[in-house]
Amino acid sequence: MATIRVIFESGEPDRLIQFNPSDAPFHHVGQPGSILDVLLGHQVHIEHACGGNCACTTCHVIVKSGYNKLSESSEQEEDLLDRAPGLTPTSRLACQAVIEDPDAEIVVVVPRYTINQIGETAAKSES
Amino acid sequence: MVEPAPPAVPPTSRPVYRGRIERIHDHNADTRSLFLRPVGEARLNFLPGQFISVSLVLENETRVRPYTIASSPEGPAPIEICFNRVPGGRGVGYLFERKIGEELEFTGPFGAFTMDRPPGSECIFVAEGTAIAPIRPMIRRGLAASTRPKLTLLYAAPDKAHLLYLDDIEQWRFSGVEFEPVIARTAELYDQLAARIQVRWIDADSDRSRHFYVCGVGKGVLRLRDLLRSAGYERRAVRYEQW
Repeated sequence: MATIRVIFESGEPDRLIQFNPSDAPFHHVGQPGSILDVLLGHQVHIEHACGGNCACTTCHVIVKSGYNKLSESSEQEEDLLDRAPGLTPTSRLACQAVIEDPDAEIVVVVPRYTINQIGETAAKSES
Repeated sequence: MVEPAPPAVPPTSRPVYRGRIERIHDHNADTRSLFLRPVGEARLNFLPGQFISVSLVLENETRVRPYTIASSPEGPAPIEICFNRVPGGRGVGYLFERKIGEELEFTGPFGAFTMDRPPGSECIFVAEGTAIAPIRPMIRRGLAASTRPKLTLLYAAPDKAHLLYLDDIEQWRFSGVEFEPVIARTAELYDQLAARIQVRWIDADSDRSRHFYVCGVGKGVLRLRDLLRSAGYERRAVRYEQW
């Protein structure tokens, strides 16, 4: 069985999910078997404003362990991550990072903030 | 050992807005706009190109679906979302059943496919069907700029009825926007768009200072992205959103 431990920077309690990747999809949101799909299917809420369509960065997670057990990121995901706050070398979009290894042990951090909610006021203050 | 599921998980910690449906406009037989007036004092600040996430009450569950804002941030107008029927699309079916006066709950704005500031160089906007929605406020913003670069809209649909906002487009043309419509069978839309791009902005000259904003449905969008980037346009000069 694979596992995902979720650490929330917001201070919510950590969550540990155990699952069989071959059972995907779990929630039919994002790529089947993605971190988002697994977590939503196990009642762990991760924001996904675009519905898991790789059109925003609200599901940005930082992979602390098991990065090489995830599917490779696409150019589209990388383009979006470029605009995510707090980007790290192991950042991924949870809707796109698929876990295929049945023994994967993944640890992800959900950042406290995203700037997906950019308002006109914020944009003006940045310019 | 798997932890037990927590009791109730809050769907979001973001501000939740309510929008009253003030007007409904049918563009054609399968494409509709809803005009949402935020309830109370709430005002949604957004950038051209962003979307809102609407809560859709479906059988046995509530799901969140993104809908691009087709209206402009400027002015007091209600927020317009534009959508079309898709086979098996439960979410959009729910929206088609809504009546004037009903309210929708949404969060946002979201999205990175935005025009943060007026364009500083020639811009080409490429869209198909309802994907004109994010482009519309972008062009309006481009037209409002004090120093306006050349703006071109390359817009594809399977027939004229599915070219939306033609009245707006006509006004834009009077203001100097070049409009190039593409009518083609659905399966050939992106072939046609790619061919036009190849001829006009790749083969015609070596200028690679233009900016492209591409929005559409399916892998064709990525094909256009790859075409432009492989031709020498900077990565960040080719912005796109694929639904």
